[in-house]
Amino acid sequence: MKRAFTSLVGAVVEAWQELRVHRTRVLLSLIGVAVAVCSLTTVVALGGIVQQANQELSERQSGRPASLFVSAFSNQGTAIDSATMDATWAETLARYDITYGSRVLQTAQAVPFTTGVVDVQTQAVDQPYGEMHRVRLTEGEWFTDDDAAGLAPALVVNQIFWERLGSPELRTHPTVELGAQGGRPGTTAVIVGVYPVSSYETEPAMFMLADQLSAMTAARPSVAVQDPYGGGGSTQYEMWVPPAISEQLMEVVKRDFTSALATPGGGTGGVQVDVYRQDYAQYGDDPFLVTKLVVGGIAVLVLLLGALGLVNIALVTVKQRVREIGIRRSFGATAGRVFFSVMMESVVATIAAGAVGVIASVLLVQNPWTMDLIGQGLVSDFPPFPAEAAVLGLVAATAVGALAGLLPALVAVRVKVIDAIRY
Amino acid sequence: MSLLELRDVTRTVIPPDQPALTILNGVDLTVEAGDRISIVGRSGSGKSTLLNLLGLLDMPTSGLLTFDDRPVKSYSGAARDRVRGAQIGFVFQQFNLLPGRTALENVAMPLLYAEGRSFWRRKKLAADMLEEVGLGNRMHSMPDRLSGGEQQRVAIARSLVRGPRLILADEPTGALDLDTGSSVMQLIDDVATRTGAALVTITHDPAIAARARDHFRLDRGILTRADSDELAAASEALS
Ligand SMILES: Nc1ncnc2c1ncn2[C@@H]1O[C@H](COP(=O)(O)OP(=O)(O)O)[C@@H](O)[C@H]1O
Ligand SMILES: [Mg+2]
Repeated sequence: MKRAFTSLVGAVVEAWQELRVHRTRVLLSLIGVAVAVCSLTTVVALGGIVQQANQELSERQSGRPASLFVSAFSNQGTAIDSATMDATWAETLARYDITYGSRVLQTAQAVPFTTGVVDVQTQAVDQPYGEMHRVRLTEGEWFTDDDAAGLAPALVVNQIFWERLGSPELRTHPTVELGAQGGRPGTTAVIVGVYPVSSYETEPAMFMLADQLSAMTAARPSVAVQDPYGGGGSTQYEMWVPPAISEQLMEVVKRDFTSALATPGGGTGGVQVDVYRQDYAQYGDDPFLVTKLVVGGIAVLVLLLGALGLVNIALVTVKQRVREIGIRRSFGATAGRVFFSVMMESVVATIAAGAVGVIASVLLVQNPWTMDLIGQGLVSDFPPFPAEAAVLGLVAATAVGALAGLLPALVAVRVKVIDAIRY
Repeated sequence: MSLLELRDVTRTVIPPDQPALTILNGVDLTVEAGDRISIVGRSGSGKSTLLNLLGLLDMPTSGLLTFDDRPVKSYSGAARDRVRGAQIGFVFQQFNLLPGRTALENVAMPLLYAEGRSFWRRKKLAADMLEEVGLGNRMHSMPDRLSGGEQQRVAIARSLVRGPRLILADEPTGALDLDTGSSVMQLIDDVATRTGAALVTITHDPAIAARARDHFRLDRGILTRADSDELAAASEALS
């Protein structure tokens, strides 16, 4: 045991001296390894970050796994009365103890900006929506219970909307007059939060609470711009549930809805209920698998090329060192020790190069410019440099070192001592 | 109990596409602790081959070779390497210092294969050893910055740093001028005497050989005890 430890330390010392003596040559061969490790680590890290960013974006659009959507149509293709749907929905959420459920209604609201009135795309949702779609805010907060209880409708607006108002401090409770037109006063709504937009978006948009929208519409039917896109402003019903029970839930929700909406005495009453899943994880397979494989394949290829260069140089060197190996053997180095030392040289060198490569990769990936490129300004909570990428980089460097050291080490053990020190 | 013993040792090599070549033939030799042995012989007579056997670097083709009364054949390869490292020190004609390593690193090298205190304190032990051979001021010099005599002193320090019981010197003065050679020999003698190590010197210089107590002659693979008077006479004649 003690011997093993001194052997290890001794081999590292020998390896280090050897590297120092041949530093120029070693340095040149290691640049290749450092570059390879840097690219491997970078692609893996970027892959991880892009995946996380993608996931975040797709969760924002179609919900987190598992997100179930419920829709119901009569056989004539018209939507079911929204009050009935809302009631059934509320009942279902309560029955199955589902915390995260939200209605989503796409509408448009006329908002007077200083530059004129704009029909602003509006999503009327329930409070849990923010959590369900990971809505992130740059200013203020997502709708709170107080907002929901308040008389004035609360709004969460996008960055463009907010900037058009002159980026007012939310602490001052900035308001807009929804539906104000030609001197006619509108409904005063309070802006409580601001969410970021991707760089390609140009239009103002906002969220409001579904209940507040219907209250407002009931009070002043003329306020909402109805039917802005020619389709019936039909409500979507969305719930976020544990993926494990989603299949089961889809069935019972469908059954419950179907029976609740059935016309009395008329069987299913010509009502078609659909419950479907729409999040990115619905297909079971990892949707980023192909990207991962391609990127990983390229990185491994680069690394193998680096290793090849290393083997080449190490082999040339070991032949020049036959005499040196013979001398060490005559002073007590065992064959195993010679093997280990030569191997160690390669490993010590590639670990050093690997560390440089990983550091370069971190600097490359974690700079604002790269983050901007990947995140498109949308991924606000940028994931940190993936630790597994750094570990992978170092492990790969060590493996390449061991691999590249193997051949020269085998050559080194086969050196015949008496021939090596003969002159 | 003898340190090293050869009984009827033969060493034969079979060079490719040539008939077998007997380099050593029926060699008998006993080395006891503290012995001073010289072996003279013409170039090609088999001196280095004999020394390789004494240093456990090579194995006899036939006959018995024992170290500490134990047949060397019974040691595993690694055990032989360890015994060699701990008990035997080599001094070569061509010095064989490791290029690119300082004098200190060269002297510390054998301690890399030691364990315990000698391993961990190798820098200090090596520095002390260099002081002892009079090179305390050249510790950080590279071999190519040292004169031949200085290089051989470094090599001597290296061969002694683990306190071996046997020092094997293969033509240690062969690459040095006469004066340097004799001062180097004096140094080896002194250290060997102080540490009680046995010293086997191979040379074709009768003056160097005359320093030993037991004299042997190697002629075409056959080892015979040489008459010391005869050697002394030859030495006289040369000087
Ligand atoms: N491995 C070998 N293969 C062929 N010939 C060898 C081998 N080793 C030694 N010899 C030959 O054996 C003879 C003795 O060699 P060596 O012991 O080196 O002599 P010395 O050191 O006395 O000059 C030489 O002629 C040499 O060429
Ligand atoms: Mg010789």
